[in-house]
Amino acid sequence: MKHITSVKHMMMGTMGVVVLSALSGCQSAPEEQAGSEESVTQNKFLVVEQQPNGKYIIIEEMPTTGPSRAIIKETDENGTVSERVMSEAEMKELADQEYKKMEEGKSELNAEPQGEGMGLAGTILAAAGGALLGNMIGNALMNNKNVQRHQDASNRSAYHRSSAGGSNSATSNSQKKSFFGNSASRSTSSSSSFGG
Amino acid sequence: MISLQNITPIDDRTLEQFGFGWHTDSDQSKYIADELVVVSDREAEAYYEAVNKLYDMYAAAAQHVIDNNLFFDLGIPFNLIDVIKKSWENDVHWHLYGRFDLAGGIDGAPIKLIEFNADTPTSLFETAILQWALLKHNGMDEERQFNNIYEAISDNFRRLVTLFDDPAEFEKHYDGWKILFSSISGNLEEEQTVRLLQQMAIDAGFETGFEPLGGVKFDDEGIYDSAEEPYEYWFKLYPWEEIAIEEPELATQLTTIMQNQKAIILNPAYTLLFQSKGMMKILCDLFPDSPYLLKTSFEPLKGIQQVEKRMFGREGANVKIMDVSGNVTESNEGPYGNFKPIYQEYVEFPKDSNGHSYQAGVFFAYEACGLGFRRGGKILGNMSKFVGHLLC
Repeated sequence: MKHITSVKHMMMGTMGVVVLSALSGCQSAPEEQAGSEESVTQNKFLVVEQQPNGKYIIIEEMPTTGPSRAIIKETDENGTVSERVMSEAEMKELADQEYKKMEEGKSELNAEPQGEGMGLAGTILAAAGGALLGNMIGNALMNNKNVQRHQDASNRSAYHRSSAGGSNSATSNSQKKSFFGNSASRSTSSSSSFGG
Repeated sequence: MISLQNITPIDDRTLEQFGFGWHTDSDQSKYIADELVVVSDREAEAYYEAVNKLYDMYAAAAQHVIDNNLFFDLGIPFNLIDVIKKSWENDVHWHLYGRFDLAGGIDGAPIKLIEFNADTPTSLFETAILQWALLKHNGMDEERQFNNIYEAISDNFRRLVTLFDDPAEFEKHYDGWKILFSSISGNLEEEQTVRLLQQMAIDAGFETGFEPLGGVKFDDEGIYDSAEEPYEYWFKLYPWEEIAIEEPELATQLTTIMQNQKAIILNPAYTLLFQSKGMMKILCDLFPDSPYLLKTSFEPLKGIQQVEKRMFGREGANVKIMDVSGNVTESNEGPYGNFKPIYQEYVEFPKDSNGHSYQAGVFFAYEACGLGFRRGGKILGNMSKFVGHLLC
């Protein structure tokens, strides 16, 4: 079957994360907007994938109003792919260990990235350190150039890539017109359906 | 015979959590089946090939219609002809996605085109997201499904900028152009379909906005949201022929906006040619030997069982099935009776052991990219059920 392509949630983008979050029993689905002005302590829903070289990258990242969660997708030496859900407590433990290493200058986050991917603890600390370990550590990570470089190298999520660019506001003084007065007000009628 | 595999459904609350609120039909029956259609790799591959071939045939037929000025034959409103021609002339008016409805394809029954929903297709959330979620929920292998719709449409958003070049080049060329997404207020299914498309566009790298149709503003310089923010692209889940008939002033305004090259409208106006069921008669004229086409005519067919449909009918409305003598054996009422009729050779849909009929819906976004099924009676109307699939 050379033509048709099946789905993997890495390809499902943000909606894949929203669905996985709901199916994994997360109290509330991640928020849908992507943006760059989130608080550093915003809880995160992550999808982390192990690469062939054993390192981890972030495939998807979403802010969530529920507890932080991660789905870890790993491949063993036989090529068998397994998935597990990591709880907030487990994430916190890993992030805490890695942050201690950082303070001792022994974490890979202390140095510039050598290509894509990191260890699992570093990956989680860089992406969700603020949410897991608090505002002060979050800000420290945010202001650490090496951590941010690691994030840029190993976080493929649209959420991380998105940067709210300034947009031009309308300057035209001409009279703009709206339509759909009739059809739009048919909204309460059960017959107003325009898809097919 | 359709082969089904039972699955555990996802509860309503979880469905609602990820944005799927239309899980229950108005008669309180569940819209999503607790089964999956079992499809072989070979059958899925045949759907893929059929739909790619059909799309090429539609493109050739659209050129034929434009070259020979056959708009009237297809029931195209006169006030859209300019905008259709303009959109056809330039590749920037990129067709984002459509859905082919097909009979056959299972158990050796030949694949036959029923119609092409090219302008405002729904069932997108069900096919792209929900049937995948059903596999995940049931611990099944997520790769055993013909479904890369999310990625295919995201890539097609990038092609709005890269056109025929590699969509991976998007970031190099993208200059902050924004897409405004609109659907009618108060229709959850349509709004969530549009918001799903918006999310695909965000994931593709676009800046986007959402504005209900009634809040969108227009002038000769462009298209704006209610805060008068201008957008370079406008996706509307609202049929072109409805704009022509219900909002003729807007049809004129959109023609001007396109002439001034101020905004690009999705799906493009030429998709109304594809959407017209009259195109299936043109296809029969141009491709008489195609194995995918049912005989179709603007006049009643003689001596065969056939189906009367209206040029722009939707969801099985205004459809009549007639026997060889022309007697109506089954019919659906609807609001599309003012459109011209077409007559299409009747074909049986594949059936399950309970006698339910199954129509395949194959999405197309640059190429065929995903399969889902509708289950119902002989005429598949808006009370038909969605059934996901599993490759075996």
